[in-house]
Amino acid sequence: MFLLTTAIALAFSAIPCCLSIWPIPRSFDSGNQIIKLSNSFDISINFTNPPQDLLDAVARTKDAIQTDQLGRLIVGRGSSDSEAFGSANTFHNLVLSIEQSAPVVQPISTEAVASLDTRDESYSLSVPLDGSAGVVSANTTLGLLRGLSTFEQLWYTYNGTIYTSYAPLTITNDNPAYVYRGFMLDTARNFFGVSDIKRTLDAMYLVKINTFHWHITDSQSWPIQIAQFPELAQAGAYSANQSFTPEDIQDVVSYAGERGIDVLVEIDTPGHTAIIGASHPDYVACYLSDWITFAGEPPAGQLRLADATVANFTAEVLAAVAKSLPSTMFSTGGDELDTACYSADEPTQMILNETGRTLFEALDDFTATTHGALHTLGKTTVVWEEMVLEYNTTTLRNDTIVMVWISSDDAAAVVQKGYRIVHAPSNYFYLDCGAGEWIGNDPTGNSWCDPFKTWQESYTFDPLANISSGQVSLVLGGEQLLWTEQSGPENLDSIVWPRAASSAEIFWTGDTLPDGFDRVGNISEALPRLHDVRYRMVQRGIKAIRLQPEWCALRPQACNG
Amino acid sequence: MAWRYLSVVAAVVSAVSALWPLPTQLSTGTTALILASDFDIDISTISNPPEDLLDAISRTKGYIQNDQLEALVVDRGASYAQSLQNASSLSSLVLSFDSGFNGDPTSISEEVADDIENRVEGYSLTVPEDGSAATIKANSTLGLFRGLTTFGQLWYDLSNTTYTVEAPITITDSPVYPYRGFMLDTARNYFPVSDILRTLDAMSWVKMTTFHWHMVDSQSFPLEVPEFPQLSAKGAYGSSLVYSTDDVQNIISYAAARGIDVLPEIDTPGHTAVIAQAYPEHVACPGATPWATYANEPPAGQLRFANADTTNFTASLISSVSSRFPGKYFSTGGDELNTECYAIDDSTQADLNATGKTLEQALDAFTQSVHGVLENSGKTPVVWEEMVLDFNLTLSNNTIVMVWISSADAAAVADKGFRLVQAPSDYFYLDCGAGGWVGANPSGNSWCDPFKTWQYAYSFDPIANMTDAQAKQVIGGEHLLWTEQSHASNLDPIVWPRAAASAELFWSGPGGDISEALPRLHDIAFRMTQRGVGAIALQPLWCALRPGVCDLTA
Repeated sequence: MFLLTTAIALAFSAIPCCLSIWPIPRSFDSGNQIIKLSNSFDISINFTNPPQDLLDAVARTKDAIQTDQLGRLIVGRGSSDSEAFGSANTFHNLVLSIEQSAPVVQPISTEAVASLDTRDESYSLSVPLDGSAGVVSANTTLGLLRGLSTFEQLWYTYNGTIYTSYAPLTITNDNPAYVYRGFMLDTARNFFGVSDIKRTLDAMYLVKINTFHWHITDSQSWPIQIAQFPELAQAGAYSANQSFTPEDIQDVVSYAGERGIDVLVEIDTPGHTAIIGASHPDYVACYLSDWITFAGEPPAGQLRLADATVANFTAEVLAAVAKSLPSTMFSTGGDELDTACYSADEPTQMILNETGRTLFEALDDFTATTHGALHTLGKTTVVWEEMVLEYNTTTLRNDTIVMVWISSDDAAAVVQKGYRIVHAPSNYFYLDCGAGEWIGNDPTGNSWCDPFKTWQESYTFDPLANISSGQVSLVLGGEQLLWTEQSGPENLDSIVWPRAASSAEIFWTGDTLPDGFDRVGNISEALPRLHDVRYRMVQRGIKAIRLQPEWCALRPQACNG
Repeated sequence: MAWRYLSVVAAVVSAVSALWPLPTQLSTGTTALILASDFDIDISTISNPPEDLLDAISRTKGYIQNDQLEALVVDRGASYAQSLQNASSLSSLVLSFDSGFNGDPTSISEEVADDIENRVEGYSLTVPEDGSAATIKANSTLGLFRGLTTFGQLWYDLSNTTYTVEAPITITDSPVYPYRGFMLDTARNYFPVSDILRTLDAMSWVKMTTFHWHMVDSQSFPLEVPEFPQLSAKGAYGSSLVYSTDDVQNIISYAAARGIDVLPEIDTPGHTAVIAQAYPEHVACPGATPWATYANEPPAGQLRFANADTTNFTASLISSVSSRFPGKYFSTGGDELNTECYAIDDSTQADLNATGKTLEQALDAFTQSVHGVLENSGKTPVVWEEMVLDFNLTLSNNTIVMVWISSADAAAVADKGFRLVQAPSDYFYLDCGAGGWVGANPSGNSWCDPFKTWQYAYSFDPIANMTDAQAKQVIGGEHLLWTEQSHASNLDPIVWPRAAASAELFWSGPGGDISEALPRLHDIAFRMTQRGVGAIALQPLWCALRPGVCDLTA
């Protein structure tokens, strides 16, 4: 059987010698020789005045290589590799180098939050076979950071010896196929502490995800403290302990930035805002009314968008949050507006009558006010797809970024309107689907977005399906998302990882594997590498789940259907 | 308008104690009562109290001190502050045996190792409103322990005051079914002992009686068997991924002290490919490919049960393992036998030819031999349903059968006269719904889709379509976790609080209303989280604080 298995593995694995890096670099040349890591291994920087966050990243990488202690995922966990330890060369030094042509060196956290079209994440990496120094070179510190996350994944431990089995390795100009590679977390349906978010950011760094889309508020709770509007969290957080102080937000933002991750905060408006009614009942229509009639889920309540006072208040809240954030992007949400709620709301109907506007015309004005406040701060606004596909909003600026969530089928229609998109389709990337109904008193109910989205199904997503070649540049990337009606810190890691790594590779590596094979159809090639990064996450304290029995994880392809 | 309705619902629900499983008889009042700072549990009426009862008492006091659970109401109990200021305080809980009880008590551990029908789990509990002593009475140490478990769920915290607002409380309680279990597979992926101990704690909080331990399977053999050391030496995932005999004893005694019997399973003759690592002569079609022809999942390989040496080997193995478990029950498995595997196994074919037996006759002889060893040592064999429904075997009438393929099979098993445990994949399999785990299958779903929600599991009727006579054969049921896609990283969230659904179903009886149950299930899930078990959120906290408001019918 083992001979047969090996034969299958060779036939399927087009990537030379099973280089277990996630996401797989877009081009590389690797061997299958062993070299050992020296006890005195060090990482040096060949330019002056390196930014502190690069020094910190180097220290983290050195630490991770020592503490990962990951046994290679082969039968024997590396015992066969150890036969070569005696004759193997020793690797002493990795040099980080900035290309001579590069502009002024900036901190990683500055480059991570630059506007999407100006970022440079590319890097090259070499690990020679003869024990001479390895090199990571890039034009930016952000590129160097990406190189470090690749470098960390090369190392295994057997019986105290740290080694790689991929020497010699040369990666030339690895760079992402898409500029936006994200993960979204909802901290409103249930609360997550800063430590949970940081642990998630660590995992995101490992797979080169560059955007933390933070859906911070929703109808159920308002966990963000805003100095100018303290009443919102006082009345709207689940408790004082379950809210983010301004210091918490800055802590998350800088932790993310140092790891090459931009924080895209979303304050969803004008729907998904019932909780504002806890402190400003006058601003919210159909507050706590029958949710089945007036909302997608309990509790009902939406901002009275036709009211200029409410629009101005909303703009001030958004601006108060946005101005403290370094990102160039800010999301105002805009999904799932319930029109029945406004039809039944007398104040809204009165204002619409007085001003002679339709509801969507009023939404247009509301959006102009809220987006205007953000544009004044230099932010690019981000919205959910309904804002362009359903509400005929006319005041969106051309550079607005639209998140496609209802269905992947909607992406083409959004780009046809000329907007840039982020793929966040529920039918591929929603991590919460498939765990049954959370609404009460519904014994046989399933989740609305059944079935569970497996990593395999996510991995087969094609970002350019039905996108015309002239509009390809409008596709910025994509993200997997966790809505948290049925999640909390207890199952955060297990519901997210390693599944969310699927989109990280889709949008880094693109449609073509380094050997020229089609990535989309190649889950058999991907699985051993996904096992590898998953086991590495577990070594780092991230509770990623098993994808298969360990018996299968140690025998690539043996458990294929 | 809506919210007047809502407040009515909330008021009604919060007046019901958030106990799980719900006692069979319960009355509660509306008086606040706080726990005195010198609160203690008094067992002065019990002579020679068993050590494990004393330990249970000290654990209970620890929970009451450390749970720090705020009431699941919108203000988390703040509005109770005034009534707590004026409340009486409870300083003592008195444990005693019922008046007819004589002699020295047996320990909890001894009682859980008894025949399942002989165990006595009933108790009565009172908590007066005036601060006079609370009482737990029972006719067994196990009963006192169940009462302590209930007592530990009565209390909430407000600014470091431990209180209830539901005194006086009177409970008379005993289970409807004696077998209330949870099964864990430690072979597809390995679970450290600490994970098992934590799971046993959570099981005890919902009054489960049985830890069904599916110890080994085709993928790994993580059990040290001193008489056959090569099994784990060659078959475990790693030398540190083995349950030593000390580990096993630790798990058994930890479970027993918490009212839980350990039902070990060595699955035979299928699900045994890994035995070939140490004893290739006993395994047919090891690693045969394509695996899908020769096994339900990789790797293929099954014991050569037609062979006398293999039969003796298996009987010795079962004897060795079972001798280290004090319980009366031992499972020899018996599911998913693949006949194609034996068709290509020359050795098996030669044995069949030599003895003139059919495969079924050989299986019968094998089973009688293996079960004989168990019965000679006073054990009752437990098997999966195929052993009675798919094969015509001579099994002792005493045998307990686990129904797993479908709940629809239970009546047929009962008809054959066997006692049965309800473990139906269509209700109680916790692993379903997370997609296919077999590789190269991009759109594959789990074979037992969809995900089994707690609500659906809770709606299970253990005696559906059964006659009265058939229904009497049902001794209980269990939730199960097969672990192809699980290990320590998701053990708690995939099991809890869902597995509590069957714990209540088989304690309180079927037919419970999910709208009534949900607030109580939230409560036990939050309490589990306070005690370090990572039970998942069933709803946004907003809903958990507002019973009924997030119902489909709200």
